[in-house]
Amino acid sequence: MAGTIVADTLTHSTAGSLTTDYVVNGSAKAWVSLNGTGTAAIRDSHNTSSITDAGTGVYYSTFSSAMNNASFSGGSHVIGLSNGDLVATGEATAPTTTTFRVGCRTVGGTLLDPEYAMTNVHGDLA
Amino acid sequence: MTPDFTGTHLWDRLCWAKENLEPHQSDYRVVYEDSIDECAKILVPDPNWMACALQGGILPPVEVYWELAKDEAQPDFKRHTRGYLLHETPPVGPMTEEEAIEYLIQKDVPQHVWRNWDEGNRPKMVICRKQQLPQTRVWRNAWRISDEIKVAA
Repeated sequence: MAGTIVADTLTHSTAGSLTTDYVVNGSAKAWVSLNGTGTAAIRDSHNTSSITDAGTGVYYSTFSSAMNNASFSGGSHVIGLSNGDLVATGEATAPTTTTFRVGCRTVGGTLLDPEYAMTNVHGDLA
Repeated sequence: MTPDFTGTHLWDRLCWAKENLEPHQSDYRVVYEDSIDECAKILVPDPNWMACALQGGILPPVEVYWELAKDEAQPDFKRHTRGYLLHETPPVGPMTEEEAIEYLIQKDVPQHVWRNWDEGNRPKMVICRKQQLPQTRVWRNAWRISDEIKVAA
């Protein structure tokens, strides 16, 4: 592929070196930002083929390029502009190599649609 | 024009698409029921993915995902050993938006839903426009396909 640079190490002029493994392993492999209010909509994403609105405050994201195993790390963040503090939850569903589920609850535990639900996934791709 | 991505890792192809293609927000939604105990679910196509589908030469054939799903369904599954299918199978050509939705259904909707969507007492899946969906969440949580929306022929 044109424009390819093959490198095992990156070296800064003063700050030292690191291997490109840090970059490969440390980059998010999938992410999505969605609006859960009204009819759910995706703002932006990478390596995401769809989201599924599974009821109030519950969403799946599905990857285009699958993860190698279901032991990846996923993080989520939710923001409700008019609902006070919200908590991102896993909703008792194990991830698969192609899906990651996020829930949004109030501090009191009630499911709620947030203006912003953001997830990112780190791990190894298949 | 899409570069020749033969043998290129799918993730790298998606990076190229993110850099070079304009996202396409589809008006289509897929409503389906996969459990009688839960409300209808709504599948929302990703705009960047849809751009890849319309462009062609990026996404693998949907059958590749079925093969990986078969592997993952094995009780002793630990990790994918056939991930190369995603990257080495020649990518599919450009799709229309409607063809892309069909592909997405076969990729992201549970197989037991789309393979038998019209069997039983009522349909389990319907493709509709975003504007046809109820805006009120309280109502939608008790929503069932045959009550509120007609199935397209």
